Parts: sequence; C-alpha cells; structure tokens
Amino acid sequence: MDDLHMDALVIGGGIAGMQSALDLGDQGFQVALVERDPSIGGRMITLSKVFPTLDCCSCITTPKMSAVAHHPNIHLYTYCEIQSVQEHGAGFDVSILQKPRYVDISKCTGCRECEYECPITVPSPFDRNLGAYRAIRVPFSTAVPQKAVLDPEYCLWCGKCEQKCPVEAIDFSQQPETFTIEADSIIMATGFDLTPVSTKKEYGAGKLHNVIDPLMMERFLAPTGPYGRVLRPGDGKEPGSIAYVQCAGSRDETLGITYCSRVCCMYAIKQAMLLNGALPMADITIYYMDIRTFGKGYEQFYQNAKAMGVNFVRGKVASIREDADQNPILKVEMTDTGEIVEQTFDLVVLSQGIVPASHPTVSLPLGSDGFISVPAPDSAPCVTGRPGIFVTGTAAGPMDIVDSIVSASAAAAEASAYIRENGSRLEVEKEALYA
Amino acid sequence: MTTQTLSRAELLKQLRTTHAESVKRAQELLKEQKHMQQELCAFFREKPRTVPEAAQATGIPADKVLWFVAAMKKYGIVAEAGMCGDYPLYKKVEEN
Amino acid sequence: MPENQQPRIGVYICHCGGNISGAVQCESVAKALKGLPNVTITRTDESMCSDAGQSLIEKDIQELGINRVVVGACAPMLHEQTFRGAVTRAGLNPFLYHHVGLREQDSWVHGHDKTAATDKALRLMSAGVAKARLLQPLDPIRLGAEKHALVIGGGVAGLRAALDIARQGLRVTLIEKSPFLGGRMAQLETVFPTEEEARALLHDLIQKVTAHPNVTIFMGAEVMGVSGYVGNFTIQVKQHSRGVSDDNAEALMSACTQEVPDPFNYGLTKRKVIYRPYEGCYSSTPAVDWDHYDGRPFDVNGWPIELKDEPKSFELNVGAVVVATGFDPYTPPQGEYGFGELPQVVTLPQLIRHLALSKDGKSLQWNGRAVRDVALIHCVGSRQVDGVHQPQEDGQVNNYCSRVCCTASLHMTADLHKRYPELNIYDLHQDIRTYGRGHEEYYRHALEDGVRFLRYNGEEVPEVSPAPQGDSHPVLVKVKDMLTYGEEIEIPVDLVVLAVGFMPRDLHGLDKMLKISRGNDRFLLEVHPKLRPVETAVKGVILAGSAQGPMNIQESLSAASAAAAKVASLLGRGKVELPPFVAAVDVEKCNGTGACVEACVYEGAIALQTFNENGEEVKRAVITPANCVGCGACVAVCPNNAVNVQGWTLAQYEAMVEAIGMDLPAMTEVTA
Ligand SMILES: Cc1cc2nc3c(=O)[nH]c(=O)nc-3n(C[C@H](O)[C@H](O)[C@H](O)COP(=O)(O)OP(=O)(O)OC[C@H]3O[C@@H](n4cnc5c(N)ncnc54)[C@H](O)[C@@H]3O)c2cc1C
Ligand SMILES: Cc1cc2nc3c(=O)[nH]c(=O)nc-3n(C[C@H](O)[C@H](O)[C@H](O)COP(=O)(O)OP(=O)(O)OC[C@H]3O[C@@H](n4cnc5c(N)ncnc54)[C@H](O)[C@@H]3O)c2cc1C
Ligand code: SF4
Repeated sequence: MDDLHMDALVIGGGIAGMQSALDLGDQGFQVALVERDPSIGGRMITLSKVFPTLDCCSCITTPKMSAVAHHPNIHLYTYCEIQSVQEHGAGFDVSILQKPRYVDISKCTGCRECEYECPITVPSPFDRNLGAYRAIRVPFSTAVPQKAVLDPEYCLWCGKCEQKCPVEAIDFSQQPETFTIEADSIIMATGFDLTPVSTKKEYGAGKLHNVIDPLMMERFLAPTGPYGRVLRPGDGKEPGSIAYVQCAGSRDETLGITYCSRVCCMYAIKQAMLLNGALPMADITIYYMDIRTFGKGYEQFYQNAKAMGVNFVRGKVASIREDADQNPILKVEMTDTGEIVEQTFDLVVLSQGIVPASHPTVSLPLGSDGFISVPAPDSAPCVTGRPGIFVTGTAAGPMDIVDSIVSASAAAAEASAYIRENGSRLEVEKEALYA
Repeated sequence: MTTQTLSRAELLKQLRTTHAESVKRAQELLKEQKHMQQELCAFFREKPRTVPEAAQATGIPADKVLWFVAAMKKYGIVAEAGMCGDYPLYKKVEEN
Repeated sequence: MPENQQPRIGVYICHCGGNISGAVQCESVAKALKGLPNVTITRTDESMCSDAGQSLIEKDIQELGINRVVVGACAPMLHEQTFRGAVTRAGLNPFLYHHVGLREQDSWVHGHDKTAATDKALRLMSAGVAKARLLQPLDPIRLGAEKHALVIGGGVAGLRAALDIARQGLRVTLIEKSPFLGGRMAQLETVFPTEEEARALLHDLIQKVTAHPNVTIFMGAEVMGVSGYVGNFTIQVKQHSRGVSDDNAEALMSACTQEVPDPFNYGLTKRKVIYRPYEGCYSSTPAVDWDHYDGRPFDVNGWPIELKDEPKSFELNVGAVVVATGFDPYTPPQGEYGFGELPQVVTLPQLIRHLALSKDGKSLQWNGRAVRDVALIHCVGSRQVDGVHQPQEDGQVNNYCSRVCCTASLHMTADLHKRYPELNIYDLHQDIRTYGRGHEEYYRHALEDGVRFLRYNGEEVPEVSPAPQGDSHPVLVKVKDMLTYGEEIEIPVDLVVLAVGFMPRDLHGLDKMLKISRGNDRFLLEVHPKLRPVETAVKGVILAGSAQGPMNIQESLSAASAAAAKVASLLGRGKVELPPFVAAVDVEKCNGTGACVEACVYEGAIALQTFNENGEEVKRAVITPANCVGCGACVAVCPNNAVNVQGWTLAQYEAMVEAIGMDLPAMTEVTA
C-alpha cells in the first residue's frame, strides 16, 4: 500500500471516533479512521435502546456509520492495529497493520452466502458470546463495511466458502500488511471495556450462569439479540424476577477502581424500564448506594422508572451465590434498616463499570484511574500530555453517549486548530480548504 | 511476484499445516456440533420442546443447549413454537 | 442535456444478498417492469450498492443513454445517497434518481408470504418508475454564508467558543451584557477537580481571546433584534457607554459615594456604582452601573460631573450565532430553610465569596461569631418534588438535578476542613453525585476528614429553625436520617449552607428573537441530545455551556468547543447548501389566495408579493427556499394546485398512487 498523508488520524470507530471524523471531514480535512474490529460502530451499535430518549440505538448509530463510510474526506481502515506512532515534525508517522480478512473487500458484496455455507458455529462477541455466527461471516447485520471476515482461530480451511462465493471474493492468500500514514494530528477514541469481575469472588467471579453483565442484557433487549427475547442464559427461562447490583466494579477499593463509572445508574434504570415493557409481569429491583442521574432529563427518567414500579432499594450487595436450580441469591445489607437480608432472583445483572479499552496503542501519559491523562481539564478537556494528540469519548474516562458526542466535536475543534497552526499541508492547500 | 502462485488446493493445504493446532481444535468442535445438531434436531422434530427438556434428554448442559439453539434459530434450522410456562418451545424447521 | 430528452429509465433490483431475493422473485419483477413505457433496461444484482453494482448503473447511463434511475433495495436512509453519488459520477443530475425500499418495506415484513411480497415489490417498483418519468433535474439550494460568527455571552463557555471559532480561521464577534468578561467562573476561587485558581484560568483564556486577530469584543452590549437565516443573520446590537475612561476613572471612583449591594459577592458586601468587580478583571477600566446609578453628579475637585449612558446601536452580519448566556444560581424564596429570615443561613455561592473575603484565622467567622458547627444541605432548588416544594414562577418545580452542586459542596467541605480543621461539618444529602473524573476523590476525602453524612428523602426535606433561647447554637437543623434507619436527628449549628442549584437565565426575549425553544426544565433546548447535542432547531443557532443545562467548567468548555466545530463546518466554505425539496410556486396557476401563507408555520418561508401583470397589480405567493422545510402544508391548501414541493410534486404522487393500484397486466403471470 502507498504511504499516505492525512490531516488527522482517528483511532477507534465508536460513536466518539466517528463523530470526530465527521466533524473534521465536514470542515474539509482529510481524515483516516482506524478501527481494530472488522466494523465500526463500537459499543453503541450493540446497545438496545438508549437513554434518556429511549430511541432505537441502530436508528442513531447506523446513519452515522453510513455517513462515515460515504464521506469523501474520511478514509476508513477497519480490522487494523496501530503498531507504532512516531513524531514527525509537528505531526506523526503512524505504522498500521492491516489484518487479513481472507476476503477481498473490493469484491465482497456482503451477501453472506459464505456464512451460511460455513460448517462451524462460533461464539459471537457482538452478542457477548451468548449468540453465535460462523467462522466466516459478516460481523453483524448493520456492520460497516458490510463485508465478510474469516476467523483463522476457528477456520478449518475447508474451502467451502470459496466455492460458494458468487463474486470470488474469498482470498486465502492474504497476508498481514503494514503501511504508514503520515498524520498532522491524532485523536484517541479507543473507548472502554467493562470492569472485569473475575477477581470479585463475592459476586461469583463471573462463573454463575444467571449472573450476567449489562451488555448481555443490552443484547437480550435488542431486536437482533441472540434469543430474540429476554431469557436467562443458564437454561432459557424467561425471568420473573431480576435484580441489578449497582457499583459492581466501580467505587470499589478492593478492585482498585475507586471512581464512579457514571453511566451504570442510567443504563440500569433504562434496562429496568425496557424490561418492564418486555416482561410486564417481572419484578425488577435495583440495589444501589447513590442514584446518580445527573444529566439533562435524567432525574425525570429516574422518577419515571420509580413511578413504573421499578423497586429501588438502598443497600450494599455483600455477596451472590446460587441455589441448586442456578437461581442467584443476593445477600444485601439494607441501608435504610440495617438488616441483612437474602433474596433469590431468576436473573441478576451486575452493573459493571467502565475501564479503558485494553489495547493502549499509543504511548501517552495515563491518569491514576488508567484512562488517558488530560493534564488541564479545566482549560483544555481534550488535550493529552503529548502535543498533537487529543482524546475523546470514554478513552478519556467514563461518559455517556451525549457527553461522548460533545467531547468528540470538541476534540475535532482542538485538532483542526492544531492542524491549521502546525499542519504540514502546503499553505495554498490550507487556503483551499476554505475556498 | 517472485514466488509461484500456489494452486488453490496447495494454498489450503499449506494453511491447514500452518494452523494445525487451531484446525485440530476446530475439527473437534465441529464433530461435537454435528453430533449436538443431530441430537437436538431429532428431539425437536418429535414435538416442540424447551431447553431444559432438551438438556435432560441429551445430557448436554442447559446453557450449552441454549447457545446452540440460538445459533440454529439464527440460521433457520429451528424456530420458536410458543411457550411452556416460563420457557419458550423450539421446533425443527422442515425443509420444503 | 440528457434530462431534457424522453425519459429512458434504468431499473435495478437488488437481491441484497438474499435479504430481498429470499422473499421477492426479483427476476420476475424485473421482467414485468421491462414492459412498462420508457423503461429501457432492467437489471437485478446480488448487491447493487457494491462497487460492482454501482458501476453497472454508471455504465448504463453512459452507454445506453439512461437518464432516469430507479433502484429497489434497502431503506433509502441507508443507500439513497450512495446511488445519487453513483448517478452524479456518471454525469447525471443526482435528483433524477428514485429509491424504492424493498427490504424494510417489503421482504423483511412479508418474508413468510413470497407471493404477496413479490406482488408488493412489483407495485412499489412500478410506482417508482411512474415517479421517475416525471423527475426533473434539481439543484441544491446554495447560499452564500458570512464567514463570521456571533457569540452571545462572555463567560467561560462564550470565551472558549469565540477562541475556537477564531482558531478555525473565521471572524467572531463576542457580545457580553455586563461591562466585564468572565461570567460566573470569576466568582469562584479554586475550582474542582484541578484546584487551580478560577480567575487565573480565566485570565489565560481572556488573554488568548483578546490577542486573537479574528476576535472583536463588545462589553456592556445586548442583542436587540435578529433577522435572516443561516449564513446570513442580521443582528441589531446596543452597547451601553462605559461611563468613564482610563483617564478620569480613578478620580471619579474616589468621588463616587453612592453604594449598592455588590452582586459579585451576592450582596454580602457593598460596592460603588462606578466599579471593578474584582482586581485583575477585564476590562480593567471601571464601568458605571447604569441600573443603579441615581444620576446625581459627582464632585471631582469641586466640579460637578454628571455621567450619562449614551448607548450606541449598530448592526452585525453573521453566518451563525452561538448562545452562551449561562445560568443563575438558584435564589431560595424567603423562608426556604430559613433563608432570608435567619442570618445564619447562606447559599454556597455566598459562602465561597465569604471565604474569599475572610482573612485566614483560627476559626470561621460568621456574623461576628466563631462557627463551630456547620450544616450543608444539598439539592436546594433542584430535584424538587411536586407538592413538597414551592413552585417557580411558571408553576413548575425544578425537578432536575443541578449536577455541579454535589462536587462543589464536597469541594467546599475540603476547603473548610483544610482552613478550619476544628470545624464540625454535617452534610445532608439525598444521593452523593460525584460522578466526574476526579470527583469521587472529594467524597472520599470528606469521609476521611470526618464530615458527617446524613441522608434525607426527597419527600421529607430537613427543617431549619431558630434554636430556643439559651441554646448553645443559634440554629437547629432537624432531619430524618436514612443512614441511621430513619432516626429523627437534631443538629445544633452556627451556620447553614444551602447548596443551591442552577437556574435557567431570563434572557429578556433573546430566545424569542432567535426562535429557539426551552425544554421542560426551561433551559435552552438542543435538537436531539445524541444526534445534534449542541445545535438548536434553528439552523445556524448553536448552544454553548450552562445556558443549555447545568454544567461544570470542563463540560462548558467541551460544549463550547463542540459549538465552534459546528460553526466551522457550517461557515468554513463561505456557503451553505440545503436540499432542494422545498416548495415552488407555479405563477401561471397562482392567483394569490394566500391560503398557503396562512397554512405555513415557518416564518419567512412563503409570502404574498405584489407583481405587475399586464398593467394590473396582482398578488402571488413567493417562496424563500432558505426558510422552507418542504413540509407541504401549503400544497395541501392551495385551491389551484399552484404550489408543489420540488422532487415530490402532486403529479408525481398521483402517478405513483395510480401505479400502485393498477391491475398490472403482467401481474398474474409474475406471481403465478
Ligand atoms: C451496558 C451499557 C449500556 C449503556 N447504555 C447507554 C445509553 O443508553 N445511553 C447512553 O448515552 N450511553 C450508554 N452507555 C454508554 C455508551 O456505551 C458509551 O458512552 C459510548 O459507547 C462510548 O463510545 P466511545 O466511542 O467512547 O467508545 P467505544 O464504543 O468503546 O468505541 C471505541 C472503539 O475503538 C475501537 N478501538 C479500541 N482500541 C483500539 C485500537 N487500539 N485501535 C483501533 N481501534 C480501537 C473499539 O473497537 C471501538 O470500536 C452504556 C454503556 C454500557 C456499558
Ligand atoms: C457554587 C458554584 C460552585 C462552582 N464550582 C465549580 C468548580 O469548582 N469547578 C467547576 O468546574 N465548575 C464549578 N461551577 C460551575 C461553573 O460556575 C460553570 O460551569 C460556569 O460558570 C459556566 O459558564 P458559562 O459560560 O456557561 O456561564 P456564565 O458563567 O453564567 O456566563 C454567561 C455569561 O453570559 C452573559 N450573558 C447572559 N445573558 C446575556 C445576554 N442576553 N447578552 C449578552 N451576554 C449575556 C453573562 O453576563 C455571563 O457573563 C460552580 C458553580 C456554582 C454555582
Ligand atoms: S448535584 Fe447533588 S446537590 Fe446538586 S441537585 Fe444533584 S444531587 Fe442535588
């Protein structure tokens, strides 16, 4: 591949990265958007409906994804890993590895014939591994690009897909390829993971079948979810009672995660409201320390959930175990009465918090919380410790979609000012930007 | 290109060699899945059944049955067929 | 031009990788459509949107002289733009394209009934062909745009927005109502989470803004009128006189004897009517407080000098407007928690000012007494409950959370503890909402510092009353504490601090002038919190900072920078482009009934104008495309069918409806 020159390089194609790229592209800058997954969309595209408006998540995300894909100034690089970032004048040389898809994306039409043909069924991380797809597949129905990708971990190399493909897009000869992009500025939009609970023995360390993470519940509530309805993953039962354990992995010294993850109160309330619609007979209880519904319209959202009959119980969940039928049993210290009670549920959701995505690719100073450090939040909230590199979305700490989108536009403003002031494009070209 | 372009068969063979370990794992998985699909489909063909029923009949853990049923449902092999108490029923989709 | 020739329609049906072809017999539909008049070619493809599919269309346009294109595929939302792009690349006007949604509208919903799905596909497609016959080339509405933005409000958000717009190479004018910049942030001392000095941070920002060659600032200025639309707003501005100049300021200040409560210190102190709010303010030239100056002359060395406000009025032409008018802290009504009745009850902003004015000593002094015990009550003026709290002027309670006060309160307790380690602090809250990065630390420190936390329920708020005569403390706070299982607790204190929330600011008609709306919480309203979080429903009017809702400094800065990014995308090219789907009047048919003007709810979109027709004065409807949204309300009411939405004309609709209902001759054959 040829070496390329871009005004900005955005790392991470979640909602934050997409918005930054769109804002820069709209201003006429040339932007590379590099995503490590085979599709852009990030966490948001996996969600069901989004608070506080409760609008369908894909109705908001897919148009952005499509706008990114068709934007004349945005150059999309999916299924790529950043290998190194080197200063080059005021800008950077970014070395990027294109992982082999074993599919020629210039030919693939996303028809999924190969996927139907592939004999082996594998867990789909898009469905938090509770759903499945095949070793070769289009990652999910609204993926951008809508192209197949082959997973060498599970592939039998039987060649059936190649025979089936109507446009001869399967290419077994693909190799990893490295290329370099010279970029005047970089925006980090690498997003988040859920706080791991494998070390949280009191909560079953992730081993109890009917104690799930909140992204799983998002998939159950989504129309494209693995079961097409809400079932507990242990045995396919429609749950009649569901509990949420707030601050599971946030504000928790024992896990070394002392900060508030900011979105868990709201997503728990949202899911409780959606469950109320999906399973009108189900009892839903939220165990919490503080309810932090601080955003615009969020307090009313909380009050609506209360009015709907969601039980909010102030209490600290000390431990979770399960009975013989794999029903989780919570042991709760009730704040308002001081009692310790035990309560059995069909399904428990751990409202896990937000930690930085596990792939730090660019060496940048980090805060004590592990997120990319922002040295001067009260004067420059998107500026990192390395000149020319900006940060947005949950890469800069927990935040919801609204805050991520605002922060993404802010990062774009910072980056574009930096490019104008330091960028290496010829003066004439810069003038032409606004011609 | 300096190296001779490999024939398709040679290329696949070479890939199977370089990925020998994962191929072995995948083959075992495939065997298990084929077996699971046969058993489950036979069971669901008789009449619509729930996941715990299928688990009991086949000896496969219920969570695994559910996972595989979800996959078969996605690819049109089984379909939902009403509820039995709190559990959805699944039936085999017959090819026409 | 190919578009002026007889329609030669190319029809393309996408299998959508089985998504459509799984339910619709695409080949049969294509065959049936081939027989329709003007259809030159029909094709089907696995995936029309793929590069290969798109090239098919391009090739047909170039080689077969196709001049109208219809594609049946997924929803137009997904790929309409894609195909308009392909058509344009082949040299055709992009609006000679029509998109039919065969997936979401057909195959996905009728997958169980292939015959019906195929029948519906044929009808939808023939309707598309019927419309395509009548398609006319259109041009997007292109308007010149001023590369100049107006920022209203010179607080931290407005300053930041101005700086960032200027840094994008655009001109910017900032208008601040007060004679000084900085807004509410200037009234703070150190700020969370960085513990930096608020005024030092502001000073840096103001320095950058004032030094930027693209920025013009008017202080003591207000917007008096707004007209125009995105790219071309005209703004009427009135600027008050400063009243004094650097030369005579000191002499006049010392001669000035009239004093008023100082709003900078929330009335805790007094200041003269010629004033600087604080040392180091910008501008450093003092100003006259015209609202309070009683008009009496000053005696300067025996000379009576009378000052007069001589406001200047002028106009600005700008392409976009950023509204950064900020917030007011909630002022409790007389008697709420004893406010205004007991001298020992203050608000948090007042305490911040009080501490700034206090000399360091061993103990906190209030009203000439040493404070030993202080109670801090959260959520005053926020999270109010109907029936429990006194409603605001509009009859509503403030049911929102003010987001900043929890951390601001615990930031205050940290400061109090540091300065007066002996002080006992009680914190009465509902929930502690220290959500932000570096905020939870304040909560932890407060616990370590021995701050005593008590928790009340929103429906049972604490009571503040004077203590009985002879008590050790002047005030008694009663609270039902949920942390001790609902125990009724009485706390004798010397001082009560009310953590007041954010109130939307009275904008004296500015919101009406700009035609922007407020939400239920009365803060300025964005179009959509996720899709367009800083834009208003009025194109070109953008929000920044706490005018939109409670925000801390960091959040105000981000919102301001985001607003600047939107302004840059909007105005950077010096022109704005709007889709052509707006109303158009056929003057031949129009006889000036004016029904359309009455039906239209968008101001300035349609109006009657007088023309001279053969020496006769006639009225005709005229559209201003920039103000029209293409809703079609006018189309529905015109008795003469003289008005149409371009690209969606009545004739086109009629042709489509007719085609959908038609008994297609090929139908039986197709679905057999
Ligand atoms: C259960 C749950 C429910 C939620 N519900 C809501 C809701 O209803 N409303 C709401 O407002 N918010 C909600 N949120 C929060 C919301 O998910 C986040 O605010 C948002 O997704 C953050 O977007 P992002 O772009 O910062 O990060 P991400 O979505 O994580 O995107 C980051 C992207 O970067 C990519 N990436 C990471 N590392 C690299 C690398 N090294 N190289 C290249 N690419 C990389 C990732 O693959 C990913 O695509 C919820 C969160 C959770 C956990
Ligand atoms: C008690 C308290 C403590 C706080 N402590 C902190 C803290 O420690 N850290 C932190 O991050 N945040 C803190 N905040 C929040 C912080 O004060 C705000 O985030 C910030 O001031 C918002 O800035 P703004 O520019 O949006 O609004 P403002 O500061 O209100 O500025 C608005 C400006 O617009 C002007 N204006 C208004 N109407 C018009 C008009 N019609 N025409 C022209 N100009 C107009 C006003 O005069 C003003 O200058 C605190 C807030 C409070 C109440
Ligand atoms: S931030 Fe805290 S004090 Fe302020 S309204 Fe919200 S909960 Fe109440």
